Amino acid sequence: MSILTRFKHRLIARLITHFPGLADRFTAAYQPWESGEPTPWTTVCKPLNRCRVALVTTAGVHHAAQEPFNMHDSDGDPSFRPIDAATIRDDYTITHDYYDHSDAEQDLNIVLPLDRLREMQQEGVIGEVAERHYSFMGHIDGRHLVTLIKQSAPQVAEALRRDRVDAVLLTPA
Amino acid sequence: MGLVQRAIEKAGIPTVGITIVRDYTEKVRPPRSIFLKWPFGHPLGEPGHVRQQRAVILEAFRALYTISEPGTIIDLPFRWRRHDYETDQEPGPFVP
Repeated sequence: MSILTRFKHRLIARLITHFPGLADRFTAAYQPWESGEPTPWTTVCKPLNRCRVALVTTAGVHHAAQEPFNMHDSDGDPSFRPIDAATIRDDYTITHDYYDHSDAEQDLNIVLPLDRLREMQQEGVIGEVAERHYSFMGHIDGRHLVTLIKQSAPQVAEALRRDRVDAVLLTPA
Repeated sequence: MGLVQRAIEKAGIPTVGITIVRDYTEKVRPPRSIFLKWPFGHPLGEPGHVRQQRAVILEAFRALYTISEPGTIIDLPFRWRRHDYETDQEPGPFVP
């Protein structure tokens, strides 16, 4: 994908922020994957004040030292980045051309609300905030949908299980 | 995002997602969602608005504990920049 195309995507993203009515045209043009399978279900059995809570975002957040998401592929990037809750606040960057992230650069909490969760841990609303969280870029289409469904999403699910996470909050961009 | 949510739920961890594009969520059908008609890039609201961000998270937790029908989307009444969060009573405690 050329630099010019990337520039166009970012320009559209900014325009949508200023004229939200435009968003409907772009969302209508994209057909999300539809499953014939029933929605999976896990019953919540612990009270929240005993749960370890993790965040999973598709806002393209990552540590500055991690490889940026690939913005040159029109089908997106199905990979993910583990996020270290202890350090992300001081070294984060956002790689995502399909939304205007200038506000999220001011305050990470609007896409990855770790500060809010920490406050809730202190108040005893939740048991604890997980040490690791997981980040995707979203905007995945075409051949990468299979990679996401068959590989990266189950890998993150397995990692969350290893981290003994009890509940997950997902945040889009 | 709904696809990742489905995979996590399938692995045995309960999930709740925030959505700002209701149409996609209706098609992908993740287990539990809360919907906000808010601009892209702002699922928790405005930068620095602690009370607002907190309100969204607490509504997500409320959805986690109250939704019993897989695929349910709860429409939140928070209008963009037109809602007073200060007087709202916060939900909780969150128990099964």
